This record gives sequence, structure tokens and C-alpha cells, in this order.
Amino acid sequence: MPAGEPSRTATAGRAGAARRTARRTISSIVGVFVLVIVSLQLFLLMVGLDAVTTHADGLAWVAAAASTVLTASAAFLYRYLRRSHRR
Amino acid sequence: MTTSEPSRDTESGDQRVWQRDFPIPAAGEEEITRREFVRYLALGSGGLAVASLGLAAWTSLTDPPAREPKEIAPLADIPVGGERLFRYPTPDDPAILLRPAEDDLRAFSQRCTHLACVVVWEPEEGRLLCPCHHGTFDAGDGRVLAGPPERPLSPIALEVRDGMVWAVGGGGH
Repeated sequence: MPAGEPSRTATAGRAGAARRTARRTISSIVGVFVLVIVSLQLFLLMVGLDAVTTHADGLAWVAAAASTVLTASAAFLYRYLRRSHRR
Repeated sequence: MTTSEPSRDTESGDQRVWQRDFPIPAAGEEEITRREFVRYLALGSGGLAVASLGLAAWTSLTDPPAREPKEIAPLADIPVGGERLFRYPTPDDPAILLRPAEDDLRAFSQRCTHLACVVVWEPEEGRLLCPCHHGTFDAGDGRVLAGPPERPLSPIALEVRDGMVWAVGGGGH
């Protein structure tokens, strides 16, 4: 075994562990963000229900548009997470 | 091993042979990963967006209840200082007609604008009270006096035709 080989392996191992820890942290942060997004959407759904009972078309559409934007954000975050896992 | 014996990897029902031989699950074996959790949340998020869009479409496609004029009661049957409960504009919308003075008739939706409990008239206080959360409304114009409601009571337009009191507009939510 050439000299220096074990230290290179150890460095690679440490880097791998650090990468795994970073991935876990990123996954957790993204998870929390998406959870907040879904909570906001639940609120918007309640706003939509209120708009139905009061026949407020404008309010219902604004709530739906905001919910759609939030879904796009959640999808973007999930895609980001998948990409970061593939790397 | 004879040919009739199952191999170690053969599935038996829903269980692999090794799982039957060693039926102790590893710690966290049943847990979903963070990525799967985010995927489920994102799918739920899509579902909520679709539901919101559906509600918006439903609101646009359905017409608000028609405000057809409706008879309430003969004016002579409503005593001064008295009230009369009725339904307007639909049978699901409770409303209240007040007669605080001889020539003074007022009507409001009876639904509190906070959480839709029915309000009651307190003539001596000159207000309408929601007993659920103690929201109070002015009996003159329906504006909020106190409590959690933020919007006034919906007023109902009245007309007296040949001694009969009619609701002719307004009301509802």
C-alpha cells in the first residue's frame, strides 16, 4: 500500500459524512418550508370556503391563485431536494 | 438442500423467508425518509390548490340566491316594540324584523357576522346581541358595537304594501 493512501481514504470518509449531514439538514429545512406552505394553503382553503358562502368570487380566485403559487413553490422545493440527493 | 425446499430468497406470501426466520424489524425500518415526507406534502399541497381552484370555479358558476320580494307579516300583527322572525332571502337565512316605534321598521339578517350564531334583540339596550361570543350590533343600522364580529349585520330593505310588510332586498350573509 503506498504511503498516504490511508489518510486520503480517511479524508474522503470525513467529506462523505459531512455531505450526508448537510443533505439531512437541507432535507429537514425543505421539509419545514413545505410544511409551512401546506399550512398556509389550508388557511387559504378556509378563505375559499368562506368566499363560497358569501358568493365573493374575487376573494375565492385570489385565494386559489395564492394557493397555486404556493403549490408551485412546494414543487420547486421538492425538485431541488431530489436534485441535491442525486448529486 | 433438496429441489423441493424453498431458497432463502423465495417469497412466502407477503414475507420473505429470511423475514420469517428473523422477524425482528430494524430500528426505523418502517419510517419514511425526509424526501418521501416532502413528496407527500407536495402532493397534498397540489390537492389543496386544486380544491381552492374548484371552490373558486364553483363560486363563479353558481348564482347568489335571488332577492325576490317576500311577504313577512301584516303590519298590524307586529306590535310597537316587538319583533318578528322570518327567513330571507332563502329559507336557510334567518332574519329579524324590529319595530322599535310606530313608524319605524328595520330588518337584518339574524346571522352574526362572526360565526353565524343567531342574534337576539334587546330593545331596552337598543342593540342586537349574539349570545355565542357576546358580539353586539346597533339595532339602528346593524353596525358592530362590541365583541369579535368585524362586519355589520346585513340589512334587509323593507316596504309596506297595502298593510303588509315585504322584504325586498339585502339580507343573506
